[in-house]
Amino acid sequence: MGYGKLRGLCLFFGALWLIVPLHPASAAAPSEEQMLRRIMREVNELKADKQQDEEKIQDLEQRVGAIQNQNHQLKEANQKLQTDTTAKIATLQTKVDAPPSPEEFGGAFDRYLGTHTFTVTGAAGGQFVYNQQNAALNNLHHDSQNSFFVDWEPMILYRPTDWILFQGVISTGFGSTGTGVDLSTADFQILANKYLTVVAGLFDQPFGDWYETQSPMWVNRFVTAPLPFGVESVVPPGEIGVQLRGGMQFGALGQDFDYTVWGGNGPNYSSTVLGAAVSSPTSVASSQSSGKSIGARFRVYPLPLEKEWGRLELGASTYNGEWNNRDWLTSWGVDFNYFIDNLQTRGEWLEAYRQMPNGQTSDNRQGWYVQAGYFLGGLNVPYIPDQLNGYLQRLEPLVRYSGVNQRGVSTDDLAAATGIGLGGTQVGLVPDFGINGSPATYAPHAREVALGLDYWFAPSIVWQNEFDIELPRAGGVFVSPTGVETPAGATPNDRAFLSQFTVGF
Amino acid sequence: MKRILAAIVLATLAIGYAGVPVSAQENLSAAEHRRLFREGAKLWPVYCNTCHNARPGSEKAPYEWDQIMMHMRTLGNIPPDDANAILVYLKSR
Repeated sequence: MGYGKLRGLCLFFGALWLIVPLHPASAAAPSEEQMLRRIMREVNELKADKQQDEEKIQDLEQRVGAIQNQNHQLKEANQKLQTDTTAKIATLQTKVDAPPSPEEFGGAFDRYLGTHTFTVTGAAGGQFVYNQQNAALNNLHHDSQNSFFVDWEPMILYRPTDWILFQGVISTGFGSTGTGVDLSTADFQILANKYLTVVAGLFDQPFGDWYETQSPMWVNRFVTAPLPFGVESVVPPGEIGVQLRGGMQFGALGQDFDYTVWGGNGPNYSSTVLGAAVSSPTSVASSQSSGKSIGARFRVYPLPLEKEWGRLELGASTYNGEWNNRDWLTSWGVDFNYFIDNLQTRGEWLEAYRQMPNGQTSDNRQGWYVQAGYFLGGLNVPYIPDQLNGYLQRLEPLVRYSGVNQRGVSTDDLAAATGIGLGGTQVGLVPDFGINGSPATYAPHAREVALGLDYWFAPSIVWQNEFDIELPRAGGVFVSPTGVETPAGATPNDRAFLSQFTVGF
Repeated sequence: MKRILAAIVLATLAIGYAGVPVSAQENLSAAEHRRLFREGAKLWPVYCNTCHNARPGSEKAPYEWDQIMMHMRTLGNIPPDDANAILVYLKSR
């Protein structure tokens, strides 16, 4: 071994001594630093574990909270359900215990009645007429009225569907000479659509307003009819035929327009002489008519409701037709009706031209009336008992002026219609309209002022009192059944009092 | 004469055909019923008083008003919507 080898071995072992610990015991026991590191590592591990545990706990707490919340909601829902159920049971119990509402009862009653229903409406009334005539009318009649009368005018409405209605009115009257019965109207009303209604049958003449809407006893403010619609009709009071009619709004609420066009059997007269009375379409005189008629009426209501200016109606009518084998009746008229609050006014003007057979001059007629009434509903007279004021507030004072101009009057009709022949009820000639029986109203130029005082027990129950002042003008002729004309001569004035109690039902 | 009558009939039928069906008041909603009631309350005293005293709804049974208002609609040429509103008012008493 050389010196170099030896030196190398010494360096090796020296290094080994330095690297390897000298005491074997120091290799098994860790140093403090190591211990500290170890402890720190364990502490960190514990911290991490704690962190994880806390996260888990937090997560679990959140879950528990959610479950508790859900549980609370379920409890609330359950409680609400129980409350609602209790309330519903209570409501049902109340419904079961309570009687049905009017709507429910109405529906059930409608089902009980079926789809075909009918109703009886109409009017009934008793009248007293006192007429003390001053003098005879051209020595034809001089008679006084002091009589009671009874009228009963039931109207039957029959409704098989919601677009078909049948209505019929039978007018019955009992007077000093017995009972009269007349079929006033009987027609079907077919509501085709919003703008068209078809009426077919026997109907009031839709000429002007009076025949159609003012003739029922409880509707007419007076006991009697105005002269041109009662004792001396200018146009026929009724017609058998077909109407087409309807109404529509053209502006604001209340601004309406309506139309009625119709055709029928044509006009009828009691005879072929001048001045013969227009007769009912159901009278035997209808056999005279060989032609047909056509008529039209248009009315407008220009005032809007919201303005509170009242209700105004303006109308125009025409009726034309053949009678007696191609002789013509031509007529036209205008009418108005206005009411506001307690005041009501209405009036009509009508003219008719009738061609006459055998070269006779034409039978021309004019008629008119205006009337006004005022309800004393707002009256409150001081210093009188309230009860008396209550009575006064049911009163309606009225005034009417009416007249007719015609060349002649048939003496046959005069004899039949003055209350002597038919007890004042002109059944078949002038249906169901009150008259006072005065011959003065049959003068060729009759004029009448009627003063009225109505006492309203209810909207359709009324006690009517009327005082008529007959002021006929001179002129005109009376015509015998053979056509002989006699000047009417003097036409004495006349007075009459009528009282009527009537109920619209 | 016949031509005039035929022309009027045809013209009226044309007007009528252009219309819509007759209004009915079955199955009205509560709001629609209230609207018609209010409108009927305004129309009732005006339209009825045009010819006669307005009669209260309590005078007749609802089924009777159905018939009477059909007749009044025809006789007064009342626009059907207005007649329907008055009917609702009368039947509600």
